[in-house]
Amino acid sequence: MAENNPETKVSTSLLQKRWKKFKTLKRGYYSFLAILILYLISFIFPLFVGRNALLVKYNGDYYFPLFKTYQSTDLGQKKDAYGEANYRILKQEYAESGQGNWVFLPVYPFGPNENLLSELEGNPPHPPSIQHFAGTDDRGRDVFSRLLYGFNIGISFALVVTLLSYIIGVAIGSSLGFYGGKLDIFGLRLIEIWSTLPFLYVIIIISSILQPNFLLLTFILTLFGWIGITYYMRGEFYREKARDYVSAAVSMGAENRTIIFKHILPNSLTPIISYAPFAIVANIFSLVSLDFLGFGLPPPTPSWGQLMQQGLSNIEHWWLIATPLLSLFLTLLCITFIGEAIREAFDPKVYSRLR
Amino acid sequence: MTSYFIRRFLLIIPTFLGITLVTFLILQFVPGGPLEMAIMQMRTGGQQGSEQGSKGTTQSIPQEAIEELKKFYGFDKPIYERYIIWVSNLAKFDLGNSYKYNEPVWDVIVSRFPVSIYFGLIGFFLTYLICVPLGVYKAVKNGSTFDFISSALVFIGYSIPGFAFGAMMLVLFGGGSFWDVFPLGGFRSADWESLSSMGKVWDQVQHTFLPVLSYMIGSFATLTILTKNSVIENLSQDYIRTAYSKGLSERKVIFGHALRNSLIPISTGLGHAISLVLAGSFLIEKVFNINGMGLLGYESIIERDYPVVMGILVISTVLLLVGNILSDIIYAIVDPRIRFN
Repeated sequence: MAENNPETKVSTSLLQKRWKKFKTLKRGYYSFLAILILYLISFIFPLFVGRNALLVKYNGDYYFPLFKTYQSTDLGQKKDAYGEANYRILKQEYAESGQGNWVFLPVYPFGPNENLLSELEGNPPHPPSIQHFAGTDDRGRDVFSRLLYGFNIGISFALVVTLLSYIIGVAIGSSLGFYGGKLDIFGLRLIEIWSTLPFLYVIIIISSILQPNFLLLTFILTLFGWIGITYYMRGEFYREKARDYVSAAVSMGAENRTIIFKHILPNSLTPIISYAPFAIVANIFSLVSLDFLGFGLPPPTPSWGQLMQQGLSNIEHWWLIATPLLSLFLTLLCITFIGEAIREAFDPKVYSRLR
Repeated sequence: MTSYFIRRFLLIIPTFLGITLVTFLILQFVPGGPLEMAIMQMRTGGQQGSEQGSKGTTQSIPQEAIEELKKFYGFDKPIYERYIIWVSNLAKFDLGNSYKYNEPVWDVIVSRFPVSIYFGLIGFFLTYLICVPLGVYKAVKNGSTFDFISSALVFIGYSIPGFAFGAMMLVLFGGGSFWDVFPLGGFRSADWESLSSMGKVWDQVQHTFLPVLSYMIGSFATLTILTKNSVIENLSQDYIRTAYSKGLSERKVIFGHALRNSLIPISTGLGHAISLVLAGSFLIEKVFNINGMGLLGYESIIERDYPVVMGILVISTVLLLVGNILSDIIYAIVDPRIRFN
């Protein structure tokens, strides 16, 4: 797809060309923007969604509860005045007393791990209402807030796991394919054994010794996530090794390192890059399934899988399953669209129908 | 090429031993094993609950009783010896007895085969019967509105985890707060035996519909898109041009020439069809409360029923390894250009 117009004959790198092509694929491009923006915003969610007020003016002093926790007595809270300050109650009380004190709350003033039982009537879970867009869960926590915070955790988790498994998979697969021989036969057997290990046991064993947390779970999922990439890279290196350009490099005295990193690797990375979004989808799936089974992130981490589990155990409370499913679905759909567009941008096969 | 496949079959043995050995070792480190469970039961003396964690009563169990328990579960011997015993029993097709069911492991596993095969076969045939024609049609009509909409639908399906979809369907149609169309799960109704023959069929269909839908929703995308891409690629080959220039009708070109070559990559997945006897995702089975292979595997892990765990591992490993080779053999048969060495 070279530029034929002589006036605009600026050479563009392959990556730029692909990026340009990607931008023309609207469905994927807009999904990419949506996910990217939402993910970036999710790091500053406390500014929009959360229990802590952004700014409090009390008796002439300004307080920033986002950065420091205040006790309810520090700010003169009267109702339920124990433990940390409750800024929603505080706001009401300040307004009623009319002494010029005020509280500036986030747009959606409910935190993900906050128990709202004392402020709500009836038993949890509460159905969706204007105050609580997605109702509350069985412990009286706001579901909408949990969904949003769960988004950040899910995406971060999947990104880290995908990146780590790619690094390991590419390293091992490349060496098996490049060096071949005994290393390959032996290594392949080990991988075959590794890939059939019952994954759930390892989780149970580890989680019975250590409390599973974000890092530990990424580690465990990476342990089992690199295998597919390894198979692929091994095959790719086998194929590319036999090509003429590699023989040319060898005959010019290039070192193995140069051949691997400068010649073969750039030629074999394209398909696995275009596969990355689907790997991310798979990793989000894994986290949701593990949370669903109760082997995932420890409570009270906001998680979509845990909400679904609640939803399944009380199916008359439909929002507990509908809202996480909808969030999961929209997220995965966007990532799938991105993947489809990346694949098309990286591999622009133009088929002409002959007839 | 025969020698290649013979070598592949021989390589199954070391791989198989490696897999079982590693799993066997891992099982030793899982806390709360059968021995600990039995001791716990003796300690609490039948009364469940609050006292389970207390360490103070450990002395009350005589050492001999523990030794006897160890002997019963075979934990009195060192681990390598136990593994050798297990393998030699396996060579006699003896998988041991399930701790939980007190039955031979083989019987426990075989009793779940019908459910797995039932759902496995239905899912398998429906997926192939729908996806392959759909993929072909999408390839022929590439770029049309139908292609665009069906692609979107297929990707939507790909973005919903099967078990979550199943759970949602139960919420909607299981009679919770919306419609009461489908039963809440299970393989059949409890009074299935007493129903009329038409009633039996209808009951079975009702219990089958949602689980099968949940099983298939994710696998649609992969096979449909694979078929479509494969057909598209073949339609732009030179031999298709030749076929058209010979004056063949479009129907003949597509079904007689393009399709045959396009099915090669699709047929390679058929080797793994032998794993159907073990089919069943425990997530979906858990949601629909179906007593299939997936649930058996999950429960045996949770309840530390080691003989069943190892039994399922043995069968699934053998089927997987043989399935890999079968796929390669099918590949070599349908595509004579393929040579394995």
